[in-house]
Amino acid sequence: MTEHNNRREFFRRVGVAASAVVAFGCEGEKQMDRLESEPLPEGVEPSDLKWGKAPCRFCGTGCGVEVGVKDGKAVAVRGDEKSPVNKGLLCVKGYHLPSFLYGEDRLRYPMRRQPDGSLKRVTWEEALDEIAAKFSSSIEKKGKDSVAVYGSGQWTVFDGYVALKWLKGGIGTNNLEPNARLCMASAVMGFVTQFQSDEPMGCYDDFDLCDDIVFWGHNIAEMHPVLYSRILEAKRKNPAMKIVDLGTRRTPTSDYADLYVEFIPGSDLALANGILHLMIKNKQVDLQFIKENCVFKQGIEDLEKIGYGCYGEQANRYTFKDKLSDSSLEDLTKFLEDYTPEKVSKISGVPVEQIRILADIYGNRARKTVSTWCMGVNQHYRGTWMNNLITNLHLVTGKISKPGSGPFSMTGQPSACGTVREVGTLTNRLPADMVVFKEAHRKKAAEIWKVSPDIIPAKPTYHATDMFRAWDRGDIQVMWVQTTNPWQSMPNLNRIKRKPNDGKFLVVSDIYPTVSTDVADLILPSSAWIEREGVFGNSERRTQQWNQLVQPPGEAKEDAWQFIQVAKRMGMGDLFPWPEDDWHEPMYEEYRSFTLGVGKDLASYKELQETRGLRWPVVKGKETQWRYAANHDPYADKAEGVHFYKAKGYGEKAAIIRRPYHPPPEEPNEDYPFWLCTGRVLEHWHTGTMTRRIKQLHQAMPRAFVEMNPADATELGVKGGDMVRVKSARGQVEFPVVVDGRGRPPRGSVFVPFFEEGRLINEVTLDSMCNISKEPDYKKCAVRIEKL
Amino acid sequence: MRGSHRKTLIPITLGVFALLFTACREQEAKVAVPGVPGATKSAASVRAQRRAFDGAPPVIPHKRFGAACTNCHTMSGISLPGVGFAPPMPHARTAGMQGSLRCTQCHVRQNTQDEWRQSEFAGLRQDLRRGKKALLTSPPVIPHALQMRENCQACHTGPAAREEIRCDHPERTRCTQCHVQRTIGEVFVRTE
Repeated sequence: MTEHNNRREFFRRVGVAASAVVAFGCEGEKQMDRLESEPLPEGVEPSDLKWGKAPCRFCGTGCGVEVGVKDGKAVAVRGDEKSPVNKGLLCVKGYHLPSFLYGEDRLRYPMRRQPDGSLKRVTWEEALDEIAAKFSSSIEKKGKDSVAVYGSGQWTVFDGYVALKWLKGGIGTNNLEPNARLCMASAVMGFVTQFQSDEPMGCYDDFDLCDDIVFWGHNIAEMHPVLYSRILEAKRKNPAMKIVDLGTRRTPTSDYADLYVEFIPGSDLALANGILHLMIKNKQVDLQFIKENCVFKQGIEDLEKIGYGCYGEQANRYTFKDKLSDSSLEDLTKFLEDYTPEKVSKISGVPVEQIRILADIYGNRARKTVSTWCMGVNQHYRGTWMNNLITNLHLVTGKISKPGSGPFSMTGQPSACGTVREVGTLTNRLPADMVVFKEAHRKKAAEIWKVSPDIIPAKPTYHATDMFRAWDRGDIQVMWVQTTNPWQSMPNLNRIKRKPNDGKFLVVSDIYPTVSTDVADLILPSSAWIEREGVFGNSERRTQQWNQLVQPPGEAKEDAWQFIQVAKRMGMGDLFPWPEDDWHEPMYEEYRSFTLGVGKDLASYKELQETRGLRWPVVKGKETQWRYAANHDPYADKAEGVHFYKAKGYGEKAAIIRRPYHPPPEEPNEDYPFWLCTGRVLEHWHTGTMTRRIKQLHQAMPRAFVEMNPADATELGVKGGDMVRVKSARGQVEFPVVVDGRGRPPRGSVFVPFFEEGRLINEVTLDSMCNISKEPDYKKCAVRIEKL
Repeated sequence: MRGSHRKTLIPITLGVFALLFTACREQEAKVAVPGVPGATKSAASVRAQRRAFDGAPPVIPHKRFGAACTNCHTMSGISLPGVGFAPPMPHARTAGMQGSLRCTQCHVRQNTQDEWRQSEFAGLRQDLRRGKKALLTSPPVIPHALQMRENCQACHTGPAAREEIRCDHPERTRCTQCHVQRTIGEVFVRTE
């Protein structure tokens, strides 16, 4: 008897017995004989499986996993003990990873929308021919900027690189954006404005080595659980270590913090300045370090001029450009006079005493300090400013680029760093920190790509939010969306709702039906994760490679392959000259050539295959834990200390940039008296298209909710489980109430996760954005809660 | 083969009947806990239902009791009258787990029985019977991964241990001195 039959037989017997019991009713508890003869199921031994390494498919932590494959199917996963990231540990999403590949409704064939709205299966030939024809005719009639690709931080390096090369080096348009614009663009601009090079200087090792760690508005316990385990393990070993959680609501992260500091949304700008005010006043800054390594800058600070990107003319096109000018420590000191603890306390709601404690943490040079942040800081109407202000706290004390000290931004997607930030799949960027508006950069790209430098346009076009506004206006006629779900994840969704018969053409490549495939004209089935070969880059600059371990379902194909086939049909096949059956390694090596010698050196493909990833710059096979640090970074040309060698424009020094407090674009008022903050939960990742198809995760967190303060709920006359309407000036959605849940928002504030496609909270959110990174603010808008 | 199963069918069905009476609150198959009168624990079949595959963290099958998980899921487990046996934790010593005991980072409670979309995922079902012995008197090899299961006693000794994998020498605590993990399927072959 096979294992399957044996088990089925047993369950059948149990089932018969169970139904009999139900019929009998339940009464009495008797001591019964023990059942020893229950047959234990037969099965396979782990050593009979084929195990292959891969990074996790979900967040930006980049945990190493090993996937067990049997008969061509992934049947198990375990934390990779050889991975320095997670050392064998995973979170609940990671432990259920392979399940996401096997939802019954996986997209298996290309499907074309018919005039009556139904979908009809078409061949790959037909689908690819049609895309090529639509792209070509739109370019001919309306110009190159009438076509666009919208991708993702979940793209592998290959997908992103192909998209970049095809659009910028083939078609000749900068209409390429990723969903990572909604995710970490503020961190990019933070690092670029201060160091003239993107990505953190430190790494996860800092968490093991620090004395104090300060979380700026991110719920790491649910969003990067394995990193939180690592931090708590460090605290167990070093009880003197302090964890400080700054936030606008209490979360599971706060439960383990030594100090929880609650501030009013948007006032983190004032708080960071208030901390710096005290540090300068208390002479806690390292003047020697500043003199040797820093310059002072200031940007445009006029609120009228800057705006928020969502009102008036800016609501169509937000093109504000910041301009940095020279400043000095004296200027900064004078500027900060305005941020006394008392004044900051008034703006932020943080007690003066807590501001002093924070200043002492950052100002104490005997202790090593790490600051971390994620979406609370990045999805902020002044996200780049907040990045600058946190990094300032490290620059003035020299607590940067040192083991156990530094500012560290976390990413939410598995390759937001690897594919978006490093490959440069943004309208303004090219690989390895290069930008389209610099002629030398375009020339270098054109040389590697063997195309004319004139083909790459010098002017960036639309950032993500503007790209969808342009699509809505009709300036973009043909769009191809891959590996993301914008009709659920963009802010203020009602503004970009697709109208019937709009004459446009939308292609969506995905692995499951989503809100975005629902509005697509052509749906392409993609292979995912271990169904293909790939490379991801995580938050700590670690590039990780995996091989294909299982076959994709039906006719699903790799995203990069899909682009290449269309490019070939448009006569741009020369861009991808590699053999069809072996193109990953040569393509990666071409991309890698951008990174060599500029301090962003990636490991070779061979090195990636043999290791659990390496952190760039990788020179002579050796990775770098601390960028810019003498004796760690091979490019740091100093005997000791730090050398910000990438910041050529600042004389190889880092910029301390002063940034003022600006009030949020929308604040609670009489009509809409509550703050709304949106985000994720532990069980679900992003728009839930993968995690909701994992039985255990869906059953644990079946629906989205609105989390309320108990006093607000009582005042409204609702209790946990009651339905309410969350309404803003833009839209409304109904949710069940959760009171005393995992998160505890303060009075006048609610939280809603965005994973449930049946309740789109982004119909309520505001499309305001950071003035520099153009990253939308999903964390602050005003809503009303109506009892149903 | 068929006949022998028929013979066991009647006692099994009766046993399951009886146990469902005992544990009718949760309506699931339970077995008695040896050495703890009146205590029950979930049957192996239920054990399988509670995890996506062998090696996945089991889901939390009960309501929240308002106490820390480790109050009941101690290093040896405890019996709760009328509820069942709270099995011990096999990984209290795993690095990264000691600092916090953030159990719900991996173990989630099931708040619904629906599936949002049907899944075709068929997870690994491991052979839970005794590990293979080379000779009659050889110590059986460890047929499963050791990661997160460094506390062998949690599953192999004490009341939670299943009959089939119960260790008859619990006083000898350095298990891996004699029981080694089978990590590959091949045997050594000299190739040079």
